[in-house]
Amino acid sequence: MLKCTDLEPILSVRHVTKRFGGLVALQDVSLDVSPGEVHAVVGENGAGKSTLMGVLAGFIVPEEGMAVSGASQIRFGEPLTMRNLGLSMVHQHFTLVPRFTVAENFALSSGAPVISRHMAHEVAKEAKAMAGDLGWSLDTDETVGSLSVGRRQRVEILKALLGGRKILVLDEPTAVLSPNEVEDLFDVLRRLKERGTAVVLIAHKLREVFSIADRVTVLRSGRAVGSCLVEDTSSTIVAEQMVGPRSSEPGPRASLESGEICLNVESIVVLGDQGNVAIDGVTLTVREGEIVGIGGVDGNGQVELAEALSGIRPIQSGKVTCASSVGYIPQDRRHDALALNLSVRDNLSVGMLRGPRANRGPFLNSALLGSLAQELIRTHQIKVVRDSLPVSSLSGGNQQKVVVARVLSQNPKLLVAVNPTRGLDFSATESVHEKIRVAAAGGAGVVLISTDTDELDALATQTRFLSRGRLTGSLLGDS
Amino acid sequence: MKQALIIAVALIIALVLTLGLAGVDVRQGLGLMMAGAFGDKFGIARTLVRATPLLLCGLGVAVAWRAGIYNIGGEGQYLVGGLAGAGIASGLVSTAPGAVAWIALPLSAVSGALLSSFAGWLQTKRGVPCVITTIMLNFVVVQLVAWAVRGPLQEPKHQLPLTARLPDQAMLPQPDPQTDLHMGVLLAVGLAIAVYIFLTKTKTGFLIKVVGQNSRLVKTSHYKPEAYQLLAMAMSGALCGIAGGIDYLGLVGQVGDGFSQGWGFMGIPIALLGGLNVPGVAVSSLLFGALMAGGDSFARFNSIGQALVYVLQAVAVMVTLWATRRKNDS
Repeated sequence: MLKCTDLEPILSVRHVTKRFGGLVALQDVSLDVSPGEVHAVVGENGAGKSTLMGVLAGFIVPEEGMAVSGASQIRFGEPLTMRNLGLSMVHQHFTLVPRFTVAENFALSSGAPVISRHMAHEVAKEAKAMAGDLGWSLDTDETVGSLSVGRRQRVEILKALLGGRKILVLDEPTAVLSPNEVEDLFDVLRRLKERGTAVVLIAHKLREVFSIADRVTVLRSGRAVGSCLVEDTSSTIVAEQMVGPRSSEPGPRASLESGEICLNVESIVVLGDQGNVAIDGVTLTVREGEIVGIGGVDGNGQVELAEALSGIRPIQSGKVTCASSVGYIPQDRRHDALALNLSVRDNLSVGMLRGPRANRGPFLNSALLGSLAQELIRTHQIKVVRDSLPVSSLSGGNQQKVVVARVLSQNPKLLVAVNPTRGLDFSATESVHEKIRVAAAGGAGVVLISTDTDELDALATQTRFLSRGRLTGSLLGDS
Repeated sequence: MKQALIIAVALIIALVLTLGLAGVDVRQGLGLMMAGAFGDKFGIARTLVRATPLLLCGLGVAVAWRAGIYNIGGEGQYLVGGLAGAGIASGLVSTAPGAVAWIALPLSAVSGALLSSFAGWLQTKRGVPCVITTIMLNFVVVQLVAWAVRGPLQEPKHQLPLTARLPDQAMLPQPDPQTDLHMGVLLAVGLAIAVYIFLTKTKTGFLIKVVGQNSRLVKTSHYKPEAYQLLAMAMSGALCGIAGGIDYLGLVGQVGDGFSQGWGFMGIPIALLGGLNVPGVAVSSLLFGALMAGGDSFARFNSIGQALVYVLQAVAVMVTLWATRRKNDS
C-alpha cells in the first residue's frame, strides 16, 4: 500500500478565514485531502469543524483563503463545482426523504431534471452493486422512513458515493451508531480507502479516530492547532490540543446511598407512533440520588419509555407513580427540545415560566427571565455572542447545553435523559455529565437512557438493558 | 427596516407601472389617490375607516399563524360577526336601540370565535388541517348569510336581499357626522394595543409564539400545545368577527350578499406584510387602508379603481416573500 504522505492532494484548501458576525469560526485554516487517505478533523463543539466542511462542500463562502485541485484554483461557494470534483457529503442530519423508497432517494440525488421509473431502476441497480461490493445488503424498494438509523446512514453513504465520487466527507457519522455499527462503518471506510477514495471524517471520539484515520487535523476555536500523521501522535497529545490548557477534576460521583423512591413503574405497556407495542411490561424503581442507566441499541423503545416516564405519552396499562416535577432531555433536540428560530433567551425561558417570580399576574417578568437566562449561559458556559440571537446560530454542542441548562434550571425531582451527549465533543460531554451528577447528588433521581456504554459506565449507579421493549439485566455501576 | 424600504420602493414602482399600463396619466392618478387618502378630513376619515377591518382581520390572522395554525377563514368569521350583529339588532332595535352596539359587538366576537374554534378543534383533536376546514367554513357562512337576508333577517318589505337598515341612534357614535369616522376605529386601536400586550408580555402569549415555532418543545416542557393553539384560534376568530360587527354597526348598517369586500381574505396579506407582529400589521393595514381610500376617489374618475389596490397588494406580498426569502438565504 502506498504511504499516504507520498500522494498528491486531490483537493486543498489554504488559509481559510470565516467570520459570523463577531464570532471567528475559522482562522487561517488549511486542509489537504489525499486519495486513499482517511483524514480526521477533530475538535470540540464550536471549534469550526462544521464550518470547515461547509466551506469544502461549497455551502459557505469564506472571507479569505483559496482552494486548489491539481493545478487549477477553485472558487468557493459553488456546491456544483465541488460536486463535479467528485466531492460529496454525508451530513450529520440525514438528507433523505422518509416517504420515498431507497431507490427514489438515490434517483432524487442524481440531480437529473426529470426522474423516470426507468432511471430510478438503473440507479438502484448501480447502488445495489456498490452495496454488494462493500458487503452490505440493500433492499432498494423499502421506504427510508421504515429503516433504522444505522441503515439510513448506509443509504446516505451509498447516495454520496453514486456517480463515482472520489472525495467523501462524513460529518460525525458515528454519533448515531451502536458500537457494532461503528465497526461495520469503519470496515467500509477502509475498503473505500483501499480503492483510492479520499475520506474526510469529522469526529470527536478519539478512540475511533485512532482506529481508522491516517492523518488528523485538530481544530480549536477556529484555528488548526495541529495536523500530522496518526502514527506520529498519540491520543493524549491530540486531546490536549483539542481542549487547550485547562485544569479539570472529575465531579462527585452520585452516592450509592439512596433516598426516597421518586419513580415507581409497574409493568407498563406503551404504544409507539405506529400503534405498535413499543414498551412491553417494564418495571422500574428509581430512588433519589440514583442514576439508573438503561442501555441497548437504538429503536428498542427508548424514546417511548422516556416519553411515558416524563408523562407526555399515554400508557396503555400498568402504573407510573412519579415525583412532582419531571425534567426531560429528549434525544432529538432539534425536533423536541428547541425552537430553532427563536432566540437563545426565549429557548431558555420556556423552562422558567413556572418559577416563583417568573410571572406577575398574567405578565412575564422579563427582567428576571433575562437575567436568569444570562446566568444559565454563564454557569453552563454556552458560547453565544448575544442571547437575542436565534438558537440555530449555535453549534450542536451549545444547543444541547441550552437544553440541559433549561431542564436542570427547574430543579426536577426526576430527570429523564435520552442520549444527552449524542454528537457532543469531549468537553461538552464532560460538562453535561457533570451537571447530571450534580443533579443526582442534589437529590434528583435520574433515568439515563443511552446507547453509549461509555456514558453508562461513567454515570450510572446501576445499568439495565432495553431490548424489544423489555428490560433485562441489572448491573451495579462500579462492579 | 431594510425590508420595509424594499417593499415601499417596490410599491411605488408597482403603482406607477400599473397606472401607466392602464393608460392613465401617472401624475394625475397619483394626485387623485393622495387627495383621496390624505387630502382632507374626509380622505383621512376614509383611510382610517378602511384600515379598521384590515387591522382587525390582519391581527386575527397573525395571532393564529403565530401559533402555527393557518386560519384562512377570516372572511367567514368576519361575515358571521356582521350577521350576529344584524341578528341582535333585529331583536333589540325597536325596544332599546341604544343597547344594540353594547350587546352586538361582544356577540360578533363570540360568533367569530365559535366558528374558528370549531376548525381549531377539528385540527387539534382530529387532525383535520385548518387550511381546509376554514376555507370550507367560509362557503358555509356565505350561504348562511344569503339565506338569512332572504329569510328571517330580511328587511320588512321583503324586496331586497338585505337586512333592515339600522337607525342612526343604534349605530356606533360618530364624532363628525360629515365624515365616515366612527368609534369603532378607536375600539380597533384599543384592541390592537391589547393584543400587542397579550402576545409580547404575557406567559400565554409567549407560549403561543413557542407553539408556532415548535409544538413538540411545548409538549416536552409539560404544557399542552393543543390548548394554546385552540386559544389562538379562538382569538383569531374573535378579532375577525368583531371586525364584521364594527363594520356593520359603524359603517354599513345593513348586511347583504356583498357585506364583505374580501376584508377577511385581505387580512392574510396584511398579516404577512406585517411580519405577523402587531406594529407591522398596524402599519400595513394603514397603508392599504390609504390605498383603498385613494382607490375609491380614483375610481370616480377611472374604470380601474379598486382593482388597482388588489394588484398593488399582490405585488407587495410577493416582494415581501422575496425579501424574507433572501434574508433567510444569506
